[in-house]
Amino acid sequence: MSGGVKITIKLFAALREALGESEFELDFEVVTTDAVPIDVASVKAALSQRGADWSEALNQPNLVHALNHKVVFIDALVSEGDELAFFPPMTGG
Amino acid sequence: MSVSLQSEAIDVAAEYDQLVGDRPGAAVATFTGYVRDHSDAHTVSELELEHYPEMARKVLENLGQSAAERFGLSSWRIVHRFGRMAVSETIVWVGAVADHRGEAISACELMMDALKTDAPFWKREQGPGGEQWVASRDSDTERRARWQSGEAQ
Repeated sequence: MSGGVKITIKLFAALREALGESEFELDFEVVTTDAVPIDVASVKAALSQRGADWSEALNQPNLVHALNHKVVFIDALVSEGDELAFFPPMTGG
Repeated sequence: MSVSLQSEAIDVAAEYDQLVGDRPGAAVATFTGYVRDHSDAHTVSELELEHYPEMARKVLENLGQSAAERFGLSSWRIVHRFGRMAVSETIVWVGAVADHRGEAISACELMMDALKTDAPFWKREQGPGGEQWVASRDSDTERRARWQSGEAQ
């Protein structure tokens, strides 16, 4: 694949607070040389390289990932323009 | 047949009137959730609800539509607040209109059980020890699972 895959990352609740970021663009080309396809696990692995706090926060056992507003498994494929959110279990209602 | 995400308090009487409209149907059930003054081990003075707006709206709309199909509802409404709220204020309101009470009550129960675990809202409580995020409860996950296993109908 030529060019980078640009996606929007969103973080919520305790995760947002722990990492001090709520939303940013991630250009996958600059953070990995892995062959396509890119899945949620590879985005998580790339973000975990940002430091111990990122690695710890993104590898907590109950972490939820939502791709384009839908909860997905870790092997869901990520494409250009997608929005990928990470957050703790939901506690509304 | 709609969803509202709002920061202001829920006007339960107005919501009821809108739900029922000029075609009341035979059975109307509603549920209203309020901010509790206590958590498991401590008092709560204020609650803050963070949410993921675009996803919350989609999840709640899908939830209302699936409850409507499952229970043959003629009308439904889900209202969920976000932002800061005080003890005893409303947080959530759901309503369902059906031909029979069983369907209307079950639809409200399904909407609430599913909303708790599937809709992206996160509670942060303020109490004597400061602020803390509310942990998810296994009992909520178990209640949600009943609807998928067929145990609840």
